[in-house]
Amino acid sequence: MTDTTSIPTAPVVYSDTPEEREFELRAAVGSYWTGGRLFIAMFTFLIASEAFAYFYLRSSNNGQLWRPHNQTAPTGTGWAIYFVVLASALIAIFGQTRLRKGNVLDWEVAGWTAVFGGLVAIGLQIWQLTQLPFFPGSSGYASCFIGWAVMNIMMLVGGVYWLETVLARSLRLRSQGTEDGPDQLAMTPSGQIFRANLSACTYFWGFIAAGSTLFWVLFYLI
Amino acid sequence: MTISAERETEVTYPDPTPPSTGWFQALPARPGWLSQHLGTAVIGAVLGYLLGHWLGNVVASGYTNVANSGVNAVANTGGILLGALGWMLGIGALNYPLAKIIGREPAPEFENTSWTKYFRYTADHKVVGLQYVIGVLLFLFTGGLLAMAIRTELLTPTSHVFGPDAYIAIVSEHGTIMMMMATSVIVGPLGNWLVPLMIGARRTAFPRIEAFSFWVFSAGYLVILSALPYGGFPTGWTGYAPLQTQASGGMISYLAGFALIGMGMMAAGFNLAVTIVNYRAPGMTWSRLPIFVWSILATCALLTLATPTLFAAGLFGILDHTAQTAFYVTEHGGSSYLWQNLFWFFGHPEVYIMALPGFGIVAEILPVFTRKPLFAYKVAAAGMIGVALLSFFVWQHHLFQSGINPDMRPLFMLTTELISIPTGFIFLVGMGTLYKAKIRFEVPMLFALAVFFNFLIGGVTGVFLSDVPVNVTVHGGFFVLSHFHYTIMGGLIFAFFGGLYFWLPKMTGKTMNKKLGQIHFWVMFVFFNLTFFPMFLIGLLGQPRRVFEYQQNLQALNDFSSVSAFILGASFLVFIANFVWSVFLKPTPSPANPWDSLGLEWQTANPVPYYNFERIPVVLNDPYHYSEADATSVADLGDPVLVGVAAPAAADGPPDTEIVQHEDPSA
Repeated sequence: MTDTTSIPTAPVVYSDTPEEREFELRAAVGSYWTGGRLFIAMFTFLIASEAFAYFYLRSSNNGQLWRPHNQTAPTGTGWAIYFVVLASALIAIFGQTRLRKGNVLDWEVAGWTAVFGGLVAIGLQIWQLTQLPFFPGSSGYASCFIGWAVMNIMMLVGGVYWLETVLARSLRLRSQGTEDGPDQLAMTPSGQIFRANLSACTYFWGFIAAGSTLFWVLFYLI
Repeated sequence: MTISAERETEVTYPDPTPPSTGWFQALPARPGWLSQHLGTAVIGAVLGYLLGHWLGNVVASGYTNVANSGVNAVANTGGILLGALGWMLGIGALNYPLAKIIGREPAPEFENTSWTKYFRYTADHKVVGLQYVIGVLLFLFTGGLLAMAIRTELLTPTSHVFGPDAYIAIVSEHGTIMMMMATSVIVGPLGNWLVPLMIGARRTAFPRIEAFSFWVFSAGYLVILSALPYGGFPTGWTGYAPLQTQASGGMISYLAGFALIGMGMMAAGFNLAVTIVNYRAPGMTWSRLPIFVWSILATCALLTLATPTLFAAGLFGILDHTAQTAFYVTEHGGSSYLWQNLFWFFGHPEVYIMALPGFGIVAEILPVFTRKPLFAYKVAAAGMIGVALLSFFVWQHHLFQSGINPDMRPLFMLTTELISIPTGFIFLVGMGTLYKAKIRFEVPMLFALAVFFNFLIGGVTGVFLSDVPVNVTVHGGFFVLSHFHYTIMGGLIFAFFGGLYFWLPKMTGKTMNKKLGQIHFWVMFVFFNLTFFPMFLIGLLGQPRRVFEYQQNLQALNDFSSVSAFILGASFLVFIANFVWSVFLKPTPSPANPWDSLGLEWQTANPVPYYNFERIPVVLNDPYHYSEADATSVADLGDPVLVGVAAPAAADGPPDTEIVQHEDPSA
């Protein structure tokens, strides 16, 4: 059996070297990058399940009840939701490009606008559910629409929450100016982590817009 | 990047104290009964349930489908979901997410040395790992008690202990609890506890998500258990429609419980995958990654990508019950086959979610007790990745009987049979490692060897079942039941116990009693086979699953199986006795490295420091160079400590030890 006397006991304090701190920072930044993409992959499989249900029920058309009388969810509201989501995502992406060019205020304005847009889209989506011209169980289309509406609300709530927390963090960072500029742009650890988080969040908004486009086509155009 | 111990420049923090930033965030960490802990979680769950149930009644009691029906699915769902939310609020899982809304950063982590940390929301992956150990054992023993009830009922073909409804409710609850437990039984306890240590990390990437995974998993356990007071559900663990849409009461618990545990699985997989990708210590290249970590990475890919489908399927089922959609109602434009497709798109990868970590444990144990390098390491890693990839393309073999286009059968038969090839890789790696080895038959090794024996039977019968003609013949019977018990219990649960016996000395600092461990193994191994092997025969003779009566001529085999099952169940009591005796009643401190393992997790201090390693290690070699005298050390830990053991081939001979001393950079 191994002699264990040379194995140290637990340190009573936590210490690190500058290199270790750099390693930890790089790992944290990388985690946001990897985590953001993996998060999108998870949601991809979630909405892929909805798309599978859509096409499965559409092709099965059991009892000719896929979409009787060509029933459609309220089109005006649906288009409004879609364009608000699309606009919010584009504004969020635009804001990030402005931040990269050094304009923190532009990003903050764009970000809060996107948050507001997301909240409007959530409100519209909930309101649309109260205005449906069909019973939820009246057809395959109706069921899939309800399923999508719930998923859309979940994704939008997630996206709005994420962006809002990044913006709130940005407001707290505002007062912490460093030698190389505002912390959102600086090479400080908090600045690097902030930007990695924002990048992942913006990708997620792009993903929400892509998903909305897909289901906008499925539910309103074809 | 090379990390050296630059003592003169290191930054030392004082012994961390409870955080002062924001009282709300700091609540779980504060000592005392007024802080957040399991008790407040229970209170939150009860209050949430009552509120949700009341709201559901307010909203839906006037609906035509609810009025005078005696069942209000909206109230049940509201109660369960708000109950789960109250549970998470009560334990403190939502403190930081709420604090983030006003831009607060996480409260500083600090080490809680009190035993009460095991009842709290914590960012320490080792505490979460031990919480999972207790959680999954609770799951396992609950499911095991239900199994005893099933075997009691099947003692006689016509005299009954339970009625048909109670019997199917017990069978369904048993299957659901066991399958949900099995998805997390290794990733949760051993994955969370070991992976950071094995890759040389001081933490996981998202420790709060890790803690969230455990507490939502435990909420899922309570929700699934709540099906019984609701009257159970009649569908078995697979939840097939149209029975699902016709059932009431407990069906909501099944769907919501599955969705909650699915969230826990996704969170656990997400955190561990990101940790493995980003937090590997310098020098921990992909080709040096411990094979157990490879297995966890492959499993995490399945957890994060397949489980959302289960979540969606559960969501659709809940909508069918509450919003009156018709996803699974064929008469209204839905399809009961839709559930089968969605469920099995998750359900078959789930089989490998269970199997792969078991393979990883076995591959980790074999070199230690044979004192030989792991044979064909890269083949083992490739096999795991191959199994994970192929597992997404086999789900329709579960639909051979139930409506799949017959022209699609050969394709899915082929993909299913293909998966035996990467699985075979892993078997060959095991056999290659065992070849000409002088084996130390310690308790973990006994369990590892049993995995090969059991999984061989489960795997070979699986190849038969992938074949359409055989599948059509034995579908829905005890043959299938025996097959999956051989793979899941014979493979996964044996590997889990092997892993526990192997790593518990590191996790608890206590030595498990060897004699009791051997008794546990032999009783479990012998009576596992005596329980389930007769079921192949019972199945071939025509006994269907989930039916509480059977032909008179099958009673002898059923009785044999039942009595064996009771003894098998008793074997778990031996484990509990061993655990309680060795860890609590008469604890014997464990040596730091009782098995002379080269694994990095064994090289850190004992008990493991809060931040795992005093210095982030620099990994120099993979941990399988046993009996290689000229092998490089496994890691440079930054201190003059034992970092590598190149043990001799002789089973009990003294190992060679190597001490690595840091060079003084200023010299």
